[in-house]
Amino acid sequence: MSSDASAIQFFSGFQVNDLWFLAEAAGGTLLISAIAISVGTFFGCLFGWALTASRWTSLTLGSVLDVFRSVPLIIQLLLFFNFFPIIGLPIDPFAAGSIVLIFYTSALVAQVARGGIEAVPASMRRASRSLGMTYWQDMRYVVWPVGLRAVLPAWAGVALGVLKDSALVSVLGYLELLRASQILITRTQEPFIILSIVGLFYFALSYPISKTTAKLEQRWQYD
Amino acid sequence: MDYTFHWRPVTKAIPDLLDAALLTLEAATLSMVIGIVLGMGLALLRLHGNRPLYIFATVWIEIARNTPALLQLFFFGFGLGAFGWHLSPFLIVLCGLSFNNAGYLAENFRGGFQAIPDTQIKAARCLGLTATQTYLRIVIPQVFRLVYHPMTNQLVWAVLMSSLGMLVGFRELSGETQFLASNTFRLFEFFLATAIIYYLLVKVVLGTSHLLSRKLFRY
Amino acid sequence: MKTFTKQVMSAAMVAAIALGYGAAAQADKLDDVIDEGKLRCGVVLDFPPIGYRDANNKPAGFDVEYCQDLAAALDVDAEILPVTWAERLPSIVNNRADVVFGGTSDSLQRAKTVGFSIPYAIYYAQAIVRKDSGIKSFEDMKGKRVAAAVGTVPEKEFLKLAKEWGTEDLYQGYQSENEVFLAVAQGKADAGITTNTAVKPVAQQFDSLAAGPRMPWTTDYTSVVGPRKDQGWLNYLNLFVTHQVRSGRYQELWGKYVGGGAPELRIPNVFY
Repeated sequence: MSSDASAIQFFSGFQVNDLWFLAEAAGGTLLISAIAISVGTFFGCLFGWALTASRWTSLTLGSVLDVFRSVPLIIQLLLFFNFFPIIGLPIDPFAAGSIVLIFYTSALVAQVARGGIEAVPASMRRASRSLGMTYWQDMRYVVWPVGLRAVLPAWAGVALGVLKDSALVSVLGYLELLRASQILITRTQEPFIILSIVGLFYFALSYPISKTTAKLEQRWQYD
Repeated sequence: MDYTFHWRPVTKAIPDLLDAALLTLEAATLSMVIGIVLGMGLALLRLHGNRPLYIFATVWIEIARNTPALLQLFFFGFGLGAFGWHLSPFLIVLCGLSFNNAGYLAENFRGGFQAIPDTQIKAARCLGLTATQTYLRIVIPQVFRLVYHPMTNQLVWAVLMSSLGMLVGFRELSGETQFLASNTFRLFEFFLATAIIYYLLVKVVLGTSHLLSRKLFRY
Repeated sequence: MKTFTKQVMSAAMVAAIALGYGAAAQADKLDDVIDEGKLRCGVVLDFPPIGYRDANNKPAGFDVEYCQDLAAALDVDAEILPVTWAERLPSIVNNRADVVFGGTSDSLQRAKTVGFSIPYAIYYAQAIVRKDSGIKSFEDMKGKRVAAAVGTVPEKEFLKLAKEWGTEDLYQGYQSENEVFLAVAQGKADAGITTNTAVKPVAQQFDSLAAGPRMPWTTDYTSVVGPRKDQGWLNYLNLFVTHQVRSGRYQELWGKYVGGGAPELRIPNVFY
């Protein structure tokens, strides 16, 4: 039974250029999180404003956004990813992951944004309107700066959460850090080392952001 | 559209799914109880512990908060397995979620402890209460009240994140769904049903927590 | 509760149908693939030597080359879509892949949902066991911790037997075949059920593992998988399989990845 089959390596140990592979995958994590956080924050602010605008939007939009906060992200991803091909529009993992993460982020940010708007005392807003500001001027020059300071830490928490939750897009097959770790574990059979390295990668992405916002929060408190 | 929806496999499996949903609730609640105890300990270590204990608590909290929950679960699975420590899928999920809950709750508790004025503790000690009594009777009840809302959110989070059990072989609601779906190939139908069950579960958790808070914090 | 779920489900269905009509009328799958210039090929990549990743993390193996051969025959580009065991059939049902090469046994139950070509490779289920587990025969596996991948034939067959033994609790289901190997190597499980072709490379990789007994269920005639209703496409796949054999490519690739003579793809005493 001897043949050239034994010459092929089906498993191979962890190599230095696998670090490069992981770095590329970290780029994948950053890319999809950056898209989700920026677009999601934009829509989230919009939704947050809509939630405070009237009772009707608060009720309807609120209950729609509530769904995204009440169903596990992994289920949302699988549902969305499998729904589009059914209607004849196959969608790649990156697009599906981005769209679901954007929805998910905007649902979380909407709550934060509403909190920010509500954090601005009504008396302050009445004062700005009495000074002759229009509704939008009041929004831009009073509510935005004051509200932003109130909820920036909460927003940072959401952003960090999305960065970490983007790991779940790996189940769709999008190549990001976690997916890369599974590929490497399959090839090298060294789970502990690889999980540790990937953990460090995530830590390196997440920790600086969490420290910066903590500092910012402290500084603003004494401002 | 080429796809034909088949709902019969799903409706047939609803009892199984509801059983699995109970398992989800069980894992989430247990991980919350363990997380509260550990988180309280970590918060106290960060506030009053000596240097090594402070570092231990800080490392735990930062790892829990700065790495994905899924990675933490994998660590309790194949990560520990590399050292010959084998947890059952249920324990992997329980340990992973408890580890994570503790990290997040610790920071909430720390904020809570710091919000209790020092003067209260001094007053309690003046009245002859021991340090332990002061903590158990005066400080902790107030801290719980302060962090009740974040704790509820954490419990909801635990319910949602227990769905990662499906990736480590735990047959909770998501794992059971995946098992059934892969046998019938009806992924979409099954996961839609499961999404609805999760939604209802979260509503039940929030409702219960709301009722409980009314009972607990009447004064 | 029941009517509520039904209502929600029918609402979702109406939405799905409404959206579905927006999509263009379906041409034949074969036309679609040629038109797109792209063959979306589901392959399981934790199944050495049939599907795996090489040292540069690129897909490789018997199934991967079969996919590339099919794309070459159609004169289109091959797009390798890595799928897990549990995903490979849903990926056809949901039209994420045009074809799946993934050691898929042609069971009658599966054929209710997806279409199968004639067999393109033959395997049998075999265990990979820990050397210290003392497992020599299939009967020895009773009362042992046994692992397999979720959504595979071994899982189904073993669970049937485990039910008779009353040892279902000892069964462990993993997301990938690789996790099965890892679980056995680490000692989470005493035995893992896989395919005869995978046993040799895996046993070579881990000192603690050895080839285990053959499983008592029947030989796995595995087929290329396509959409069930696309008979033209399935005909093409059949022809492709016979051409691979006639041109000697089947033997060549089998020798390259598995080693030795390729099994004969004929089923004794049956017209095919």
